[in-house]
Amino acid sequence: MATKPPKARTGQLHHTGVYKADSIKDLAEMLNINISDAIATALASDVEYRIHQVVEEAAKFMRHGRRTTMSTSDIEQALRVLNIEPLYGHTTHNPPTFRRAAPAYNAASSGSAISGAVYFVEDEEIDFDRVLREEKIIMPKGVSWTAHWLAVEGVQPLTPENPPPVPRDVDVSSPETSKPNGVVAAPSAPPLTMINGTGIANNIKKPQQQQQTQQHLVKQVLSRELQLYYTRLTSSLLPPSSDFAKRTAALASLRSDAGLQALLPYLIRWVGEGVVGALKEGGQTESDGKVLEVLMEVIGSILENNTLFVEPYLHQLLPPLLSTLLHSSLPRSHSTQLRTISSQTLSGLLTKHSTTYPSLSPRIMKTLLLALISPGKSKGTREGAIRGLIGVGKEAVRKGLVESGGAKVVGSEVQGHEMGDWVEDEALTKSIMDALRVLRPPSDSEMSEALNLSNDADLHISTRLRDVLGEYFAQKVEGDAAWARAILGENNNDNLVMGHGS
Amino acid sequence: MSGSTPPTASRSPSASSPSQTQDTITNGADVDRLVLQYLRAKGHNVAEKALLSEIEGSSSDAKNEGLKTINAEELVKTLAVFVQKPSRPGDNALKESSTVLSELSAMGNPPALQTLISNISSVGSEEILAEDPLDKPEGFRELVAWVEGSLDMYRPEFRPILFPIFCHFYLDLIQAGRKDAALQFFATFAPQLEAAHSATLQRLSTLLLPAHVQNDELAQRFRDEKYFIRISRSGFGLLLGWLTEGIGGEAMGAGYGFYGEKGKRGRVAVMQVVNNHLRFDVTSSTSASLPPNTWEESTGLTSSLIPHANGTQSKIYNPQAYNISKGDLKLGPAPIPEELRIETERVAREKAMLEGVPASQYDISLARPQVQSGMVAPTEADMLPLPPNFKAVDVEREVSAIRDARKRIRLEPSTLNGLDPTSSQASAIRARALPSICAYTLHDVPEGAPCCTFSQDSSLMAVGFSESYIRLWNLKGEKLRGMRSDFSATSIRDSTSLRKIKEKKGSSTRKLIGHSGPVYSVDFDPLSGSAAPPKYLLSASADGTSRLWSMDTMTDLVAFRGHENPVWDVKWSPLGTYFATASRDRTARLWSTDRIACVRIYAGHLGDVDCVRFHPNSLYLATGSSDWTARLWDVQKGSCVRVFLGHQGPVSTLAISPDGRYLASAGEDLAINLWDVGSGKRIKKMTGHTASIYSLAFSAESSLLLSGGADWTVRCWDVRNSGGPPSKRDTTTSSNNSHKFGEEGIIESTSDMISAFPTKRTPIINVQFTPRNLCLVGGIYQSPETR
Repeated sequence: MATKPPKARTGQLHHTGVYKADSIKDLAEMLNINISDAIATALASDVEYRIHQVVEEAAKFMRHGRRTTMSTSDIEQALRVLNIEPLYGHTTHNPPTFRRAAPAYNAASSGSAISGAVYFVEDEEIDFDRVLREEKIIMPKGVSWTAHWLAVEGVQPLTPENPPPVPRDVDVSSPETSKPNGVVAAPSAPPLTMINGTGIANNIKKPQQQQQTQQHLVKQVLSRELQLYYTRLTSSLLPPSSDFAKRTAALASLRSDAGLQALLPYLIRWVGEGVVGALKEGGQTESDGKVLEVLMEVIGSILENNTLFVEPYLHQLLPPLLSTLLHSSLPRSHSTQLRTISSQTLSGLLTKHSTTYPSLSPRIMKTLLLALISPGKSKGTREGAIRGLIGVGKEAVRKGLVESGGAKVVGSEVQGHEMGDWVEDEALTKSIMDALRVLRPPSDSEMSEALNLSNDADLHISTRLRDVLGEYFAQKVEGDAAWARAILGENNNDNLVMGHGS
Repeated sequence: MSGSTPPTASRSPSASSPSQTQDTITNGADVDRLVLQYLRAKGHNVAEKALLSEIEGSSSDAKNEGLKTINAEELVKTLAVFVQKPSRPGDNALKESSTVLSELSAMGNPPALQTLISNISSVGSEEILAEDPLDKPEGFRELVAWVEGSLDMYRPEFRPILFPIFCHFYLDLIQAGRKDAALQFFATFAPQLEAAHSATLQRLSTLLLPAHVQNDELAQRFRDEKYFIRISRSGFGLLLGWLTEGIGGEAMGAGYGFYGEKGKRGRVAVMQVVNNHLRFDVTSSTSASLPPNTWEESTGLTSSLIPHANGTQSKIYNPQAYNISKGDLKLGPAPIPEELRIETERVAREKAMLEGVPASQYDISLARPQVQSGMVAPTEADMLPLPPNFKAVDVEREVSAIRDARKRIRLEPSTLNGLDPTSSQASAIRARALPSICAYTLHDVPEGAPCCTFSQDSSLMAVGFSESYIRLWNLKGEKLRGMRSDFSATSIRDSTSLRKIKEKKGSSTRKLIGHSGPVYSVDFDPLSGSAAPPKYLLSASADGTSRLWSMDTMTDLVAFRGHENPVWDVKWSPLGTYFATASRDRTARLWSTDRIACVRIYAGHLGDVDCVRFHPNSLYLATGSSDWTARLWDVQKGSCVRVFLGHQGPVSTLAISPDGRYLASAGEDLAINLWDVGSGKRIKKMTGHTASIYSLAFSAESSLLLSGGADWTVRCWDVRNSGGPPSKRDTTTSSNNSHKFGEEGIIESTSDMISAFPTKRTPIINVQFTPRNLCLVGGIYQSPETR
């Protein structure tokens, strides 16, 4: 009816705004009323205006409710203050789902191609019996609060409750900056809370839960292939009772395959947790020993793989290694072998990385010495420490056993209580002898000449030997003069000895 | 409902009558003349028939029936045939409707024609005849081209003119029933005005039928009130020049007919709006000397926002003029009663002895702010009536206030000015300037909690929920115990017997049930200060009541009824006893806890009153409203003493500085404005938030402002910094990719924002400072799963 300028004529129907005249006609049809286009258009405009009025009012309730999404309760409140009967049956808890009507219906009813889709609220039929039988009513958790420091004197602490700092492109230290000790910080697996979005609520999780979430995490971050590889790899390695051939293949793959860099943090974490798990229960059973053995082999393989950039993870690799080495009570059947393997792995690690990381060997030395000398350590620990020292090298053995008096300590312990555990003593003695043998100069023949106690110089050496190694080991070494001298760091140079001796 | 009747019947006379008088050069007259000439030349056969059939056609004829309810467009359409052909540009004969009428009447069939003309003239015959939906868009296009083509120095002051003219054109088109033309007009020109006026445009865009224009409040304000624009003298001259002569205008060779008929008609349409609905405040200062945002303070439909000055009928258009007319305010600290002061001093001295610190550490002047120069302190006589005798709790409060003042963390953000961020002391200085913030995060809140507050002694947290209840938490983990209900009043003699009837069991949280709608505001009573836990809690709800809760019995004591509408905010007076509420019914009210009816009603806002805050000396009450203004009221007299104009959206929250000097207001335009309460002038506008701002708080020294909002951040602002766009040197806080606000949709933070602390998906609904300047903020964690 209204005359339009020629330009506007084309858009007669879809110019009416959000609420379409078609919708009005649809509604009228439902009520069996026939209305003309003009009336429908006018009504649509009016309906739209009324809806806007309600929405505007509802927006006030939303704003005052301190929300940014409008809820059905806002609309209800708005209708209430506008003195309109509320629409019943809509709650915030189950928002209505709108379904789009089938397009065939659309085309038939509107007749024009540009009409919008028809939506309707789905009215689900609920079987009462089924609901009573099956539905479990879940009580919502009660409201709770947590407190944290959002800022301390203007600086936001980097706690899990606070979001990670936004990376700025200005001169804030880049993640590649090396730490003072020369280690590049490893991009360790991100905090779990960030990935699965549980937020601040549950800070303390049981380890088991953590395990699960970690599994979850792997699936999200890694490619499908790597995930598959990871599961296959770990399942063929552990439990150790599984196929031997499979395990060997897995280790070989780990040793030589390229492209595993992305898995590295997860593998290392897996190893670390495995070692902790095996050692926690006392580590006495046979199976624990086997697990540890496999894990040590895994570490060895990782270190041997030339395509992996292991350096940033050294600080994560060393704890399981040293734990195995120095643990007081390893399963008896495996203890020597385990300590040997781990010390060999340690040795390999040091030769490979001590050049780029000069402070590595001194620090490991310190740890080992502490385990060797400080009182109250078990024999197992002592043995591990000695094997570790062998792994570190000749100088370390000299320093540990000779200069710091490690052999003396051990000797006195072994001698001290003869009634003690014979097997352990034996192993310990053997390890010391192994260590001392490192210091032995390469000799062409098995023939060795014993220290001649009548010789003044030899007598002196003997005294010193007892002094340094203690009675127990001195006796064992005395038989070989060259060895004894080597242990004392002498090259048959009496003057030097005299100088040292005084 | 067809949209035909309203334009003829109910066009407001104020709109049409002036146009008749000033239409001496309109084309309407021109058109009339042409029509008449044509009619005469043709022996008025065709036109006569058409016209006659319209008039004479009675109800019997169905076809005429339709034409009977003809509207302006139909008429124009009918007449347009005659208009278009014999155009004689330049023929500018001036005709008035009376001449047309007389000429027509001289032509035969006088009664019929006269009826027609007289029918038309109720609307303004020229207007209808002149109506061409293209006029207005064309005129507006010319105006935009002229404004944008003007010199750089004038452009900022011309730009505000566009918006009211746009609105009026749109309303005119809708009122004339030309919905499609109106929508097209809107779609063409609204985007360029969107940045500054999105809220109003949104509102206007919902008006689609003439009836809506009649009923809509905003539309009626546009119709009835003058739109106020400040312009410089020379700028005004240029504008007049363009309106009358078309001087200036679009660039050379830019298209068709600016000097032709079309351009002129468009200009006339603009002129009509300018004459009828605009009012220019011609100032001698040039626009270049003013800061960019000053237009916000004086432009708009200000006349109704500013109340009438005492009894006079003359309208004041300028908020500054109004504020000046209301005289000076007494903004100094409230006086302390003499007896209370003496007692407090005595107790403070004892405390000092006991703790072995010099008495100077317990000097009462530490806690009482000094009267600053230029501020008048109120006397005892100015104060609201309060209980005559002070209680032990008053003394305790005052003494602990002294201790707090002594132990307070000093926050001096001004030291950050000119600080080199790379220098070695930078972090130390920042630490001194910036607060420590403790965030309390609520989890598993199903429907939202609109409000949250902490008691002064930080022992209690109260949260109001959408599910109509309030929950209290003891933050120290102590048990909250109410009183048993089964006791006889006669057995209560002293405090020990009172203690006996306390509940045996209790937990550190407690639900207070009583409201029947979402709880929008909660506030603890300030009487015990930081010395002891508060005794009372006030709450306001959508059910129209505010309630007083006792923290001793943990029950509801009084429901204050009076607002028939949702109550948005409630606040205790700083001295207790009184409190104020803000409601959707557009009033704020003052209540006394010992009466159930309100004692004062503060009416005058044109929209919901969204928030209330007391001045620290309790003499004044600040309100923020959905009419985009904040006001300051004299609590006792009930009169409005200051109007703060400048927000471009509803005011969502307010804060008054403890020294009584500043008012900070946050609006839905995402800006925080800082006002000088004494003069009513805006000091600065602070931007940076990217979503609604929910809460503001000043530090105890009034040097630092904290804000929290829906963008999950808490931001710190330097009150004394002059602000403005961030300088290049300032790399500490502001982002590098700063864009001009509005152009790219990215909000640039002004340089006075010291820092922003983001949270993890927690909108901050409350920020407040403890008396020792530690900051507590409260928010609700929004887990990503819930919509």
